Amino acid sequence: MAFLEVIDLVKDFGGVVANHRVSFQINEGEIIGLIGPNGAGKTTLFNCIVGYHKPDSGKVIFKGKEITGFKPFMTNREGIGRTFQLTKVTAGMTVLENVMVGAFCRTDDRNLAKVEAAAILGFMGLDSVRAYHLNELPIAAQKKIGLARAIATQPELLMLDEVASGLNPKETEEMVDLLKRIRKEKEMTLFLIEHVMEVVMPISQRVIVLDGGEKIAEGLPKDIVKNERVIKAYLGEKYAKGL
Amino acid sequence: MILLDALLQGILMGLLFALVALGLTIIFGMMDIVNFAHGEFLMIGMYTTYWASLFLHIDPLITLPASAMVGMLLGLASYYFLVKHLLRGPMIAQLFGTFGLMLFLRYFAQFLFGIDYRIIQKGLLVGKTLSLGPFRLDWTKLSAAVLSLIAFLVVYYLLHRTKLGKALRATALNKEAANYMGIKTDRMNALAWVIGGGTVGIAGGLIVNFWYVYPTVGLLFVMIAFASVAMGGFGSIKGAFFAGILIGIIEMLFPMFGHFTGWDFLGPHFKFTVVYFAYFIIVVLRPQGLFGWKK
Amino acid sequence: MEKIKDAFDFRDFSKPEKVGFSIFTLLLLIFPWLGVGSFVKAVAIQFLLFSLFGMGWNTIGGYGGQVELGKAQYVGIGAYTVALTMVWWKIPFWASMPIGVLVAIGYSFIIGYPLFRLKGHYFAIATICTSLVLQDIFINWKLVGAAKGIELPIHEHPDFLYMQFKSDTYYFYFIMALFYTAILYMNWFRKSKLGYQLRMIKEDEEAAESLGIDARWCKIKAYSIASAFVAVGGGFMAVYNLYIDPYSVMDLDLSIKIALMAMLGGAGSMWGPIIGSAFLVPLDRFLGSWLGAQKGLIGVDFMIYAALIMVVSAYQPQGIWGIIEQFRKK
Repeated sequence: MAFLEVIDLVKDFGGVVANHRVSFQINEGEIIGLIGPNGAGKTTLFNCIVGYHKPDSGKVIFKGKEITGFKPFMTNREGIGRTFQLTKVTAGMTVLENVMVGAFCRTDDRNLAKVEAAAILGFMGLDSVRAYHLNELPIAAQKKIGLARAIATQPELLMLDEVASGLNPKETEEMVDLLKRIRKEKEMTLFLIEHVMEVVMPISQRVIVLDGGEKIAEGLPKDIVKNERVIKAYLGEKYAKGL
Repeated sequence: MILLDALLQGILMGLLFALVALGLTIIFGMMDIVNFAHGEFLMIGMYTTYWASLFLHIDPLITLPASAMVGMLLGLASYYFLVKHLLRGPMIAQLFGTFGLMLFLRYFAQFLFGIDYRIIQKGLLVGKTLSLGPFRLDWTKLSAAVLSLIAFLVVYYLLHRTKLGKALRATALNKEAANYMGIKTDRMNALAWVIGGGTVGIAGGLIVNFWYVYPTVGLLFVMIAFASVAMGGFGSIKGAFFAGILIGIIEMLFPMFGHFTGWDFLGPHFKFTVVYFAYFIIVVLRPQGLFGWKK
Repeated sequence: MEKIKDAFDFRDFSKPEKVGFSIFTLLLLIFPWLGVGSFVKAVAIQFLLFSLFGMGWNTIGGYGGQVELGKAQYVGIGAYTVALTMVWWKIPFWASMPIGVLVAIGYSFIIGYPLFRLKGHYFAIATICTSLVLQDIFINWKLVGAAKGIELPIHEHPDFLYMQFKSDTYYFYFIMALFYTAILYMNWFRKSKLGYQLRMIKEDEEAAESLGIDARWCKIKAYSIASAFVAVGGGFMAVYNLYIDPYSVMDLDLSIKIALMAMLGGAGSMWGPIIGSAFLVPLDRFLGSWLGAQKGLIGVDFMIYAALIMVVSAYQPQGIWGIIEQFRKK
């Protein structure tokens, strides 16, 4: 039984078909990348899975249970966590408090939540910034905190929306290592939307490619880079033929 | 027959409600700010025409432009001195900001004019009625409705046929894109407030011919305007038009309904409660209203 | 047990705050013995009452970030329940007050469920609407006294059963007790799971949802808590003033004042509503008595409030406490 199954997902925004009959499967423990040019429908697909949008048709099945149309807080409780491309920068709660909110998903006890949150921050190397507010920290840290928050909800499937955007090469490298550690030590399945190929290609076991709302390719990273349709989607017909 | 009469009266009032709602919906469409002081702009428009016609001894219809001017200036001043600064802050601040303006204008009027109820007593059309078959219509209401309709059409034309209007709508749709095209958001915002203030000023000048003006009259009308805008869709001009008329009709029909079912004990004032209630129901069931494109 | 411990745990406040609050508490305790006139006592009672209202509003409006302007309807519910049960069935205060709170909570769930489908401006306007509707109903409803309101019978002998006393001092300590209960409750609330979740909702509702928080339900819960707080205050008003009508307990103006106190003082902070109340209540009373004496100045008090609201909204939406916090960071 597949861990996550998406079957014939369709999402139409009144004229613009963002997702057209997209289907794929993810197995437990995998790291799957989702790539495609801008406007291909990647974020929409994400949002349909986590419940931010309700798909017009199709199914989403997680761990054997149909979760199509479940609201975001419900999918989270089922075990799907997600990060956002742009973490809203706020000044009201400290880093620790932010992560505690995530931990509160699984417990009612504040002290337990605090301990959990502190542990996760330690895991991610963010101990030193516990008492700061998000607006006082650089982007790389903000991204990590968004990640920490999501991890605190103890998801089994973690969906990351462009977690590497805005990072410099060194930070990107760190992120790759971090993702590998998360998958291994926290035993999570990862599903990433990415534009930064240095992140997706090295760690993904499989890559799914969307273009114009449709899935145009799926396979091993090394095969995807040679796939004619994929090259055409990114660089245009000329290069697809030429290479 | 009474039914048709009520319907007709409703449409006439509705046209005025529509004009009142117009300014509100334009401002909201532009910058997502609800102008709580909108009713106070109306009230000031009413007082302007009242005092102008009284002191200058001219017909209130001729002093109408004064109300328009005052309304426009008020809108402009409100934007530059208050709203512009509110835009930077969180939503709670924006809400309270225009709310504060509302209170300020209301109590300033109370301070200046006292709490007495006033209404236009002298004028060409005051007290005269037109007989159309079995119907008798007040000339004041009729002329107000017609002028209201004209004002509405003028604004519609301005927004859809002139370059300035198109610039305004462009900014409402996507202010960044409009900015790149050279349309300064700040000036468009100000323009929205000028139009908003001006139209509701005119509406006030028209209404005072048959409705008493007093410092707190704004609250009632702003709630009606909210209901109209909510029903029609925040940001939609067409919506404001049809919703305004619809509410006018509901308003006139409600007391009749009360009469027939024997629910008379509810005072005549109660029909406005219906409006508040209507707002609530509409906004919960269909947040985007009938024609709205913004959520 | 945990909850009680949490309520009394003030450790995470800074030293100046703790000291300040302790001095404040001491002052309040000895206040009636300081030989102040009845006017000042009345102002002090008002101050504590409005702090109570403000703290209630703060749960949904401050911590939750949902600006609602219809709290007065729950003041009214609390007040009317106490008044009516006393007049009709001679039910003592200690029974009618909890009933009032329950009615308020029940009503808040009924209204809250559809209400919280809305957000932002639409929500704020809707809260005003619901309050106006209820007020209108009460103004026209002969059974509950309509516009004339309800007069509570004056008892010959003061008693604790009906909370009627000859001296303001009793009322002062009573409202003070309510005030401190509220403080303890808020102290627990801000550290509770709901408190954290609510704050997250305020910061970034989308993110909150992604973290397993049912935003709508959390907001409704906070709204109900706020309503309960405010209903308690309403009940107090009934036995203190011995007269209530839809204008004094359900008015839009009251809703505005409540929200304003919290916002001015600093919405979303523990001390904000108290600071706001300490500032505005005396101002209101002073203006009222000073301006009341000058005939031509009706409305000036509200003009001043209004100007205050505008200035605070435009330049310092975090309120007075926000200013203090900014100083502390430096």
